[in-house]
Amino acid sequence: MFTNKKECVAMLLAGGQGTRLYSLTRDLAKPAVSFGGKYRIIDFPLSNCINSNIDTIGVLTQYQPFNLNQYIGNGQPWDLDRLNGGVFVLPPYMKNKGSDWYKGTANAIYQNIQFVDKFDPEYVLILSGDHIYKMDYSKMLDYHKEKNADCTIAVINVSKEEASRFGIMNTNADNSVYEFEEKPKNPKSTNASMGIYIFTWEKLRKYLIEDEEDKTSSNDFGKNIIPNMLNDGQKLFAYKFEGYWKDVGTISSLWEANMDLLDSNSGINLDDNNWKIYARNTAEPPHYVGNNAQIVNSLVTEGCEIDGYIKNSVISSGVKVGKNVVIEDCNIMPNVVIEDGAVIKYTIVGPGARIGKNAQVGGVCDKSSLKIAVVGPDAVVAENQVVPMGEMID
Amino acid sequence: MNNIMSIIFASDNESKLNELTLHRTTASLPVGGRYRFIDFTLSNLVNSQITTIGIMTKSNYSSLMDHIRMGRDWDLNRKNSGITVFPPYASNTSRSVSKGKIEAMYGILDYIEKASEDYVIVTNSNIAANIDFDDVYNKHLEKGADITMLTYFAKPTTSRRVIIESDDAGRVTGSRITQTASDKIEEIGLNIYLLKKSLLMDLVTNCYERGGVDFEKNIIQQKANELKIYTYRVQGHAAMIDDIKTYFEESMRLLDSKVRDDLFYAFGKIFTKVKDSVPTIYRENAKVKNSLIADGCDIDGVVENSILFRGVKVEKDAVITNSIVMENGHIYPNSSLNYIITDKNVTITEDKKIGGFETYPLVIVKNKTI
Repeated sequence: MFTNKKECVAMLLAGGQGTRLYSLTRDLAKPAVSFGGKYRIIDFPLSNCINSNIDTIGVLTQYQPFNLNQYIGNGQPWDLDRLNGGVFVLPPYMKNKGSDWYKGTANAIYQNIQFVDKFDPEYVLILSGDHIYKMDYSKMLDYHKEKNADCTIAVINVSKEEASRFGIMNTNADNSVYEFEEKPKNPKSTNASMGIYIFTWEKLRKYLIEDEEDKTSSNDFGKNIIPNMLNDGQKLFAYKFEGYWKDVGTISSLWEANMDLLDSNSGINLDDNNWKIYARNTAEPPHYVGNNAQIVNSLVTEGCEIDGYIKNSVISSGVKVGKNVVIEDCNIMPNVVIEDGAVIKYTIVGPGARIGKNAQVGGVCDKSSLKIAVVGPDAVVAENQVVPMGEMID
Repeated sequence: MNNIMSIIFASDNESKLNELTLHRTTASLPVGGRYRFIDFTLSNLVNSQITTIGIMTKSNYSSLMDHIRMGRDWDLNRKNSGITVFPPYASNTSRSVSKGKIEAMYGILDYIEKASEDYVIVTNSNIAANIDFDDVYNKHLEKGADITMLTYFAKPTTSRRVIIESDDAGRVTGSRITQTASDKIEEIGLNIYLLKKSLLMDLVTNCYERGGVDFEKNIIQQKANELKIYTYRVQGHAAMIDDIKTYFEESMRLLDSKVRDDLFYAFGKIFTKVKDSVPTIYRENAKVKNSLIADGCDIDGVVENSILFRGVKVEKDAVITNSIVMENGHIYPNSSLNYIITDKNVTITEDKKIGGFETYPLVIVKNKTI
């Protein structure tokens, strides 16, 4: 018998504004920000889902959703155009009791209980749209079932110093969670929550409804749902993830994650036929490398025309680089034009920006205190203009 | 424009592409680092909203089927219209693989008739050009033509060429079919025709029943007086490939940005099968000049005046000059290629120096390890 039933439905939180990415998210939701030459951040969770055999995904959008909606389309690039299931963009909507913006991460799911119910799932996977990683969610789901858990939280081991920037899961020997601390000053453990949860839907559904009734709640998974479940003695387990994972919510971390693609020891390898990251294709011809070009330790994508010197950089599709240009330690986003003689170092250049002749943008900085310059989307740096390190141009 | 359908011929009777088309149709011959020849024709049609497309095959068409699949990469997986691939022996009447375009079309008259469009574009698929079919159609109507044939200016080669004579208004007054190379630039037919569907069906039926099988000879040449045949000169760069020398020369022209602009951007983008390759990585020892490099390559050696397809690996101290390396080629350290075309999945192991000549590039066949 044909039914709509799915064992596990993924809900991807993609509504955040991403204010710490400044002008890069001025007109764009954070998950739609360009990454790694030809990807958007959201390609990672979407590709992880399809590679983990999860084919029903709700994408919760709120802030500047147009680009993201258009990018996701019918989900075809991720093989998510399905007869039953597939990818669904879920903005806040009108209900007969009025409408509301998504007040918090938990509220966003609460407002879409009807959507999840349609697939009658046993489990719901909660994801966020601002992390770069490759992860087999099906293994985490197996773990959740094996532990007979109500909630499983993916954690990654971080250093003691970093731990106070994360939500920390304190666990017993069997990995069951006895305490959750949000950004603790004196962390007891180094198991940082990755913002990836699997809930048994029946349980989560109940907690979402209760949480909504509590007018003092901030309707957030980390602040409310997880602590409430812990208080009630529900079975919460930490699932230890080993591998590359990076939150790219800040300019520095976005830059670092791009640079990690150039470092074969970083642990993120995108050229993996067993775990491809899919992206919407732009139909550009191969890139052309001119007679004056020199490219070292860099990624270059289709549609580029390169005639300058490029080192330690990620060059996205459709970028034009003129003669005598020097680009070092940069992430150049799609369709940027860099005119002859410009020198760009330690900079993120937003999509569609133009750097005029002989302009100087950014400068060499210490990797321990990064000062990454940012040229915003469609911004123009004039001829001979100097943009000091760490500056932002809109 | 939705009043035009198209018939594409995937194979060319006269092709001299030898090793390169041993295992594939001309239509699926790799070109330009990430494309197959038919991508130009399919994209031009789709960019002019022509979406009812029949593809006629003769042999070796599995690589073509694998490339096209359901036509999704060209947005041709439609409820109505879309791509129909006709395998050889498609008709009941023919006892053998069709001999010429007329016989092949005679075998699919039903399909042509059933299509809702009134006009048809008949085209070969060994053509690289960016064509605005809206403009072709408008000119066809303006001139009141029976047949519009697309042409370009080039030197005749030893492959079959239809050389056109036309009057000032562009009406074809005569034509000759030749296989003699010459240095004189001539107006040459691209084997792309626009005409009314009903006319095509009449011509095909009459011609076939009198034993004619050759579209150029039996229709374009013999009916030049009774039909109003007009030329449409394709703007920008155009090329027809039917031997290894022209394949090599035309490929190398892609290193010229004017030619790339003409072919890849003029009226619309050229779509191809999406393979989700990663961006190309340049490593510490990479030295690349004047080359066209597709995604998914891994370069630590020297590449000059060359074209690398998707997924080519060039190791340290490997040197590639004046060569075309197709998909997934792997060139090991201390090897060199000069004037070489390697087909898909070719591996050149260490310390091999292989050279051809500008006038005679050497082809290394698919899946070979040297």
